[in-house]
Amino acid sequence: MRILVVEDDADAATAMVRGLTEAGHEATHAVDGAFGLLEAQKGGYDVYVVDRMMPRLDGIGMVETLRKDGDQTPVLFLSALGEVEDRVTGLNAGADDYLVKPYAFSELIARVEALARRRETGSVATMLKVGDLEMNLIARTVHRAGQEIDLQPREFQLLEFLMRHAGQSVTRTMLLEKVWEYHFDPQTNVIDVHISRLRAKIDKGFDKAMLQTVRGAGYRLEA
Amino acid sequence: MRLPSLLRRTPFRLTLLFLALFAAAASAILGYVYVASASEARARAEAAVRSELQTLTGVYRERGADALNRALVDRLLTDSPFLYLLMDEEGQVVTGSLNASPITDYAGGEQWITYAFTDTDAEGRVTRPQARGVQVRLGSGEMLFVARSMGDTEAYLSRLTQALWAAMGIVLLLGLAGGILVSRNIERSMGRLNRVVAAVRDGDLKARAPTRAPGDEFDELGQGLNVMLDRLESSMASIRHAGDAIAHDLRSPLTRMRARLEVALLDAEAGRIDGVDALQVALDEADSLLKTFNTVLAIARLQAAAGAGRTPDPTLFDAAELAADMAELYEPASEDKGLEFSAEIERGLMIEANRPFLAQALANIIDNAIKYTPTGGAVMLRARRRSSGEIEFSVTDTGPGVPEGDRERVIQRFVRLDNSRSEPGSGLGLSLVGAVMEAHGGRIQLDEGPGAYGGFGPGLRVALVLPPAASA
Repeated sequence: MRILVVEDDADAATAMVRGLTEAGHEATHAVDGAFGLLEAQKGGYDVYVVDRMMPRLDGIGMVETLRKDGDQTPVLFLSALGEVEDRVTGLNAGADDYLVKPYAFSELIARVEALARRRETGSVATMLKVGDLEMNLIARTVHRAGQEIDLQPREFQLLEFLMRHAGQSVTRTMLLEKVWEYHFDPQTNVIDVHISRLRAKIDKGFDKAMLQTVRGAGYRLEA
Repeated sequence: MRLPSLLRRTPFRLTLLFLALFAAAASAILGYVYVASASEARARAEAAVRSELQTLTGVYRERGADALNRALVDRLLTDSPFLYLLMDEEGQVVTGSLNASPITDYAGGEQWITYAFTDTDAEGRVTRPQARGVQVRLGSGEMLFVARSMGDTEAYLSRLTQALWAAMGIVLLLGLAGGILVSRNIERSMGRLNRVVAAVRDGDLKARAPTRAPGDEFDELGQGLNVMLDRLESSMASIRHAGDAIAHDLRSPLTRMRARLEVALLDAEAGRIDGVDALQVALDEADSLLKTFNTVLAIARLQAAAGAGRTPDPTLFDAAELAADMAELYEPASEDKGLEFSAEIERGLMIEANRPFLAQALANIIDNAIKYTPTGGAVMLRARRRSSGEIEFSVTDTGPGVPEGDRERVIQRFVRLDNSRSEPGSGLGLSLVGAVMEAHGGRIQLDEGPGAYGGFGPGLRVALVLPPAASA
């Protein structure tokens, strides 16, 4: 995956480019919004990671310009500001996701990969299939190896999100944001409990455990 | 105040503008009165002359030239306001108060003229009043000229003009003086306010405008300015206080992090753990420190918002849905611990609040209840509308509770009661809840739970009370 990192903090940018490279992606760095815009206009990127506060052209300005030019490449905004209004301004400017600094690296990678994936699976599917796990989005039923699995509505949403991001790590914060639609810090890991219930339903009695815990990051659904 | 600086003052400039308008209006009125009076005087004189001429031509027609001559002599002897001249066919003077007719180009018929003649007034001064006269030719060729002075009107008009000019002069002088006075007065009032603004600009937040109790609009402005400065000063103070508090608050988690890193280093050196594990410990500590920092910052922001009397980014939403979501989120964790979890949520609790912060607050108190209630106990979430209309969320548990004397204290930052130290936590959970309530004009209430029974209790009931949405 080709990722454009637009960040004025040299240390942060170096760490980010290095981490993305280690995760198997190709990362290019631009030092501010103006350079970022020039680089983005060359094309060929799958995701832009854009810092919000930068000299010359800031993140908001850069993303607005890109969107005006018809560039629909997913954008992950990075910001030291975490207040609700900043999140809203960022998303209104055309960003697809928002991550507040400081963040865990695993969180950044997970979100970048989720953004790129969303682009690939933009079509409206009625069936999701990961390995022998099948989800019918219309009938709202789930089968594994032909055996029906009974899920609560929230468990269904949770599994749907995991299936849409199968093979990728998703973090607990992402799950709370995307499945429950809350942006806050649940002190204890309540998400873990929901995952373990889901795991009990989809993995119990089968040879292969599909729902795996990724140390230091979150969870991953593997085929 | 010198004139050029006076000219820059709005009140003085307005005064000048009004004076100019007044002068223009007065001149126009004067002009109109003059023209109207003059034409009126002419018409009156003409009517009088015409009537006198009729009388005299009547005398001539009925009784002849001699009778007319006598009539004229009689009139000249009395103090008549008319001027007469009777001439023979060649224009030689027969009788009259004039040496010659002012009409030098008489062509016959009735010919009118307005002219100035020489007269003396009561004090013997020579004047040249205007007169309106007419000349006619009589039956046998004699010519009769009759005129009447318009001197009265002229004198009246000149007195009027003088009076008006004098009045205008007085008005201009008084207006100018008034303008300067008003300008100075406003200048003084504005000066007081400007001095305060300048002082604040130069960093003196304590400067205040002097105001009088039943004051004018400047006092109102001054009072407004003072209220604004009071607010500004108190929010500056609270920001400064928050900054101090953050610096102070972060020392203890940093100290703890340092201690843990030291232990990890010792362990790694002794080969009890490897370097990767030590780094993981360091990373986890850094994460938890950042979390603490974010929470402290959030509390400071919320308190600053509360100090300014506003809620950060409020939205209108149904608190019942929020409560149901939180119940759904925490129920599995509660059951996993072997607690009986129940929720009683009234429907339709519209509220205007910051949704993420309120969710965080509710999550914190549910989390506390689950954390501190021993296995086999119960946790209950309630959301309802009080009879007062306020929205109340409450979480009741059957844990050990908080002694009455400590209930105020646990809301303060980093306060952890002795029996809670074994549990993970930063000591900021309830402080954040308190700050969220403060920023929403609400309050947090800690009470005893359902009481002690069979090894449980007495329990704790934490209630969050919020004002309802204004439109609900």
